[in-house]
Amino acid sequence: MVHLSSLLLKKYHGGYVVIRLALAGHKQANRPFYRIVAAYNKRARDGKYIEQLGSYDPLPNIYNEKLVSFNFDRIKYWIGCGAHPTKPVAKLLGLAGFFPLHPMMITEAERRRALTDVP
Amino acid sequence: MAALGTARCLFRTYSRVKNVQKSKQILVRCSVRTLCSGTQDNALLDRTKPQFTDPAVQDILTRITGLDLQKVFRPIKQELKPPTYKLMTDEQLAQAVELATEQAKKLLQMPPVLPERKPINDVLSEDKILDGMDTAKYVFTDITYNIPHRERFIVVREPNGTLRKAKWEERDRLIQVYFPKDGRKLSAPLIFKEENLKMVFSQDRHEDVLDLCLVQFEPDSSDYIRVHAATYEDLDKHGKYELLRSTRHFGGMAWYLLSARRVDGLIVDMLKKELLHDAVSLVSLFHMVHPHSESAQEAASQQATGADLLKIYAQKESQRAGYIELALQAYQQMAAKSSAA
Repeated sequence: MVHLSSLLLKKYHGGYVVIRLALAGHKQANRPFYRIVAAYNKRARDGKYIEQLGSYDPLPNIYNEKLVSFNFDRIKYWIGCGAHPTKPVAKLLGLAGFFPLHPMMITEAERRRALTDVP
Repeated sequence: MAALGTARCLFRTYSRVKNVQKSKQILVRCSVRTLCSGTQDNALLDRTKPQFTDPAVQDILTRITGLDLQKVFRPIKQELKPPTYKLMTDEQLAQAVELATEQAKKLLQMPPVLPERKPINDVLSEDKILDGMDTAKYVFTDITYNIPHRERFIVVREPNGTLRKAKWEERDRLIQVYFPKDGRKLSAPLIFKEENLKMVFSQDRHEDVLDLCLVQFEPDSSDYIRVHAATYEDLDKHGKYELLRSTRHFGGMAWYLLSARRVDGLIVDMLKKELLHDAVSLVSLFHMVHPHSESAQEAASQQATGADLLKIYAQKESQRAGYIELALQAYQQMAAKSSAA
């Protein structure tokens, strides 16, 4: 059966769906918290999204962990519908082991190691 | 292509249970799920030794737990409501008592007794190229709704690049973050430390501790087993079996003492309370669980029942044989007096 969902999306909106990080407006300065969200490309970053697929907390907690959650079932569905993940989402998924490792992650790690090794 | 929005994502129902005793009623819901997962684990162990979940064993344990309606339905701290009075005929009263016994049986469902879980040490991949990518660990949880919590994927990416499965404590904590359960805290309450446990036992609040423990920990975690063992030891030392008599923890305590072969105190207590049938069924359960002990073989050869079983057990197995025989004699005298009078 041909999946018509990507065609329908294009016809209805004229844009495409992305999986990206959106800031969850907690109205608290200097405390970011991101939602991993499937939204149309042209929408505002924090505006109306289609579905929330997870969360990402960039500040480490008392156990020195950064908590990330993914709803893999729905992510698979949206990628099957033709959604594009953005760079940070692709990096996180690569770290999780769901995607292959992102080349920029490896470059970042090498750069950090260079910074710590040299001095 | 409807916008499903936030309906599909994380539920954040943080209903803080203020009173320990209130959580007892919610425990029925929680314990049903844990019971189901318990039977799956038990099926893998050897079938020769009778397990906690065998119907025969469960039957005996429920019988010796007793069904004191007054204690099961004793007033719990709740919202104050004016009591309702109903005018009933004798038949209706009997029906109401029957309904109450049904509900009491459900409340008295025994929490599962499982062997301690083995630690998870699985490494999924070692990526040395990612070494030093960040100072903190990344913990990834799969929040798909329809998977049982035991099968959820929770992986940790360490700063040195290794991708490993999360340990049991981390798993419990993260599942509580994303799928919060009523009454469970993210870090264990301080009551479960050794010194605090001693203080609570001196106040005779073993039941509350066990209820809290049941809500907070998984049945096969080391903390759960440690707290339960400490509680049962203390009860055995002071002989306070009456505290647990008509509660759901009695079966677990009986099972623990049976596996440790220290049922003497319990039998003496039962004989003092004139529960001969309970004592007999306890001894028969002991023979079922330890079929190679002397008393079990003796009893099997003589096909003894009733008080003779107790006498055989008293002679062969127990350390306090004198006590048991004395108590048995006292009970028989009482029985003779009451039948004569």
